[in-house]
Amino acid sequence: MLFKTVGVVGLGTMGQGITEMLASNGLDVIVVEKTQERLTYGMEMIVLSLDKQIEKWALTQAERKLIMNRIETTTDYEKLAGCELVIETITEDLESKKAIFELLDKICGPDVILASNTSTLSLTELASVTQYSDRVIGMHFIYPVSKIDIVELVRGLKTSEHTFSQSKYFVDEIIHKKGIMVFESPGFVTTRLICLFINEALHVLEEGVASADDIDKAMRIGYSFQHGPFEMADRFGLDSVLAALDRMFREYGELKYRPSIVLKKMVRAGHLGAKSGVGFFKYDKDGDRIS
Amino acid sequence: MKVLVINAGSSSLKYQLYDMMDESVLASGRVERIGMDSSIVTHEPADKPEVRDVSEILDHVTAVKRVIEMLIHPSHGVLGSMNEIDAVGHRIVHGGEVFKNSALVTQDVKLEIRRLFDLAPLHNPAHMMGITAVESNLPQVPQAVVFDTAFHQTMPDTSYLYPIPRVLYRRHKIRRYGFHGTSHSYVSGQAAKFLNKPLEELKMITCHIGNGASCCAVLDGKSFDTSMGMTPLEGLMMGTRSGDLDPAIVPFVMNKEELTLNEVNSMLNKHSGMLAVSGLSSDMREITDAMADGDKNAKLAFDMYVYRLKKYIGAYAAAMNGLDTLVFTAGVGENSAAVRKAVCEGITFLGIDLDEERNAVRSKEAREITKDGSRVKVLVVPTNEELLIARDTFELVKAAQT
Repeated sequence: MLFKTVGVVGLGTMGQGITEMLASNGLDVIVVEKTQERLTYGMEMIVLSLDKQIEKWALTQAERKLIMNRIETTTDYEKLAGCELVIETITEDLESKKAIFELLDKICGPDVILASNTSTLSLTELASVTQYSDRVIGMHFIYPVSKIDIVELVRGLKTSEHTFSQSKYFVDEIIHKKGIMVFESPGFVTTRLICLFINEALHVLEEGVASADDIDKAMRIGYSFQHGPFEMADRFGLDSVLAALDRMFREYGELKYRPSIVLKKMVRAGHLGAKSGVGFFKYDKDGDRIS
Repeated sequence: MKVLVINAGSSSLKYQLYDMMDESVLASGRVERIGMDSSIVTHEPADKPEVRDVSEILDHVTAVKRVIEMLIHPSHGVLGSMNEIDAVGHRIVHGGEVFKNSALVTQDVKLEIRRLFDLAPLHNPAHMMGITAVESNLPQVPQAVVFDTAFHQTMPDTSYLYPIPRVLYRRHKIRRYGFHGTSHSYVSGQAAKFLNKPLEELKMITCHIGNGASCCAVLDGKSFDTSMGMTPLEGLMMGTRSGDLDPAIVPFVMNKEELTLNEVNSMLNKHSGMLAVSGLSSDMREITDAMADGDKNAKLAFDMYVYRLKKYIGAYAAAMNGLDTLVFTAGVGENSAAVRKAVCEGITFLGIDLDEERNAVRSKEAREITKDGSRVKVLVVPTNEELLIARDTFELVKAAQT
């Protein structure tokens, strides 16, 4: 199968990263959002990200222009009909995602792959609202998308071998990342392990064993993590971490997934991490840590 | 015999069709934006107007098909049928240590080019697509491959080894390969012909300075040393490439600026050289214009460019224990009288007596720019890599037929 045009539904943090990464790999991208405002904001963020890369000498002005030219924005879902693959990346809410898949299933021909960037939801359940459920698959990217070269390819109960192998080819050969095969299970591999890690770090903090900064230092330097658990959580978005833990707690029913009280309190206070400027640490509007 | 020369990139393909009876170009052109629905074919027949065609060309097979259609087209074509193409020659960037000469394409040769993907990840896979595309369009036509590195395979180990643990050479073939070999080979041969002397008797330095730039010390008619190394980043200062620098700068900058491998690679290859120093442009014409307007940074870029080139010429003159001929070629070398003048005037001790009038002449012919009686002859020789590829292909195919 030839991948030329890829659709992206939702231009939030992950949608921006995925869109930018696809266009950087030479693909034409059609991005759909509910409103023009969200599209404008998302595109501004992509420009900001590309400008940061130019500042870091990773890109040239000419390359930035080429990348931007490959991205088409629209509020009209019908435009996705011409895509070979559509990646849904809206908020992690089952009902909204189901509605999108029902719509995509009608718009896109039966051999178009419909992928969801969900990190915890059931692909089988998302596929249940579609007529051609064999072409639905999970494609879980990790933030920041342009830098992290692993993608979890999640097979729902009805995902066909063909859909999986095409998706694997797309990930390995077209966007040059590593695709791993994961069978549907709440949190898959990455979210499940990393959220438990963050949650346990929160318990350590609650118990007053060490400060957030020192816990981060210990794990970063001690075990070669790029960021410690708290900065990691800040960068994922504390609300996303909380939502993921909540969902795994519900699905597995095991106490180890119960979100820490500190985490809940911070989310209620609107301290969501890098995107709100404050979480466990402080960040400027480019998302660079300032304290 | 008619030979089609192809230079295949990942999303582009350039071609030239030669009639080897008189080495004339029948047509040339290029396919751009391969893989998109609006690919552009630009076809330039020798004595008819240029043709441009926009269509969907998704892969190299279709690109070659389109090229053949252009060549045999009733109105703007130059051939009666595709059977008139007798051979196809490909430019290949990396031939590793295996290819010391051009070669006819066989199963083994293809396998070897694949093995070299590691050393030239941007170029060799695209060249391979070109070969496969020709195979499927012209299955009966013999193909040859001409390597950018082959000419430099004569370098002695004192030139090609780096003073780092030898195991790295054995394990990963880390060594100097050099590039622009086809051009250095062509212009050194042309220079000897111009001087009417056997190449083997001349100590020559060829400066291929264009977008990329490299020097080559030609001794006994063979490449003795060249400034580009394992990759085309080493050596002279270039348009956007740094050329030589202290390798310790790389980890230092990565640490200070928190750069990834890709970022530092891109910095040295695309954001350095004249562009970085001038803050203006990577193009020598714009640099010399700005310098004339009094731009200090442009002058610094120009002076550094010239200084680094002079150092290499001095080094190679020492390496060969002498110098008879200095050759300038490629975009900057053929067209920038200012660069040639600045270089030559800074190394007069070698016995160079520049003739300013001759240097100022613009021409497409090989010419001398030193005064009669200058001990070292300085020449400008326009390069023509495609012609050399066509010649090598022609020779190989002719030899195989007899």
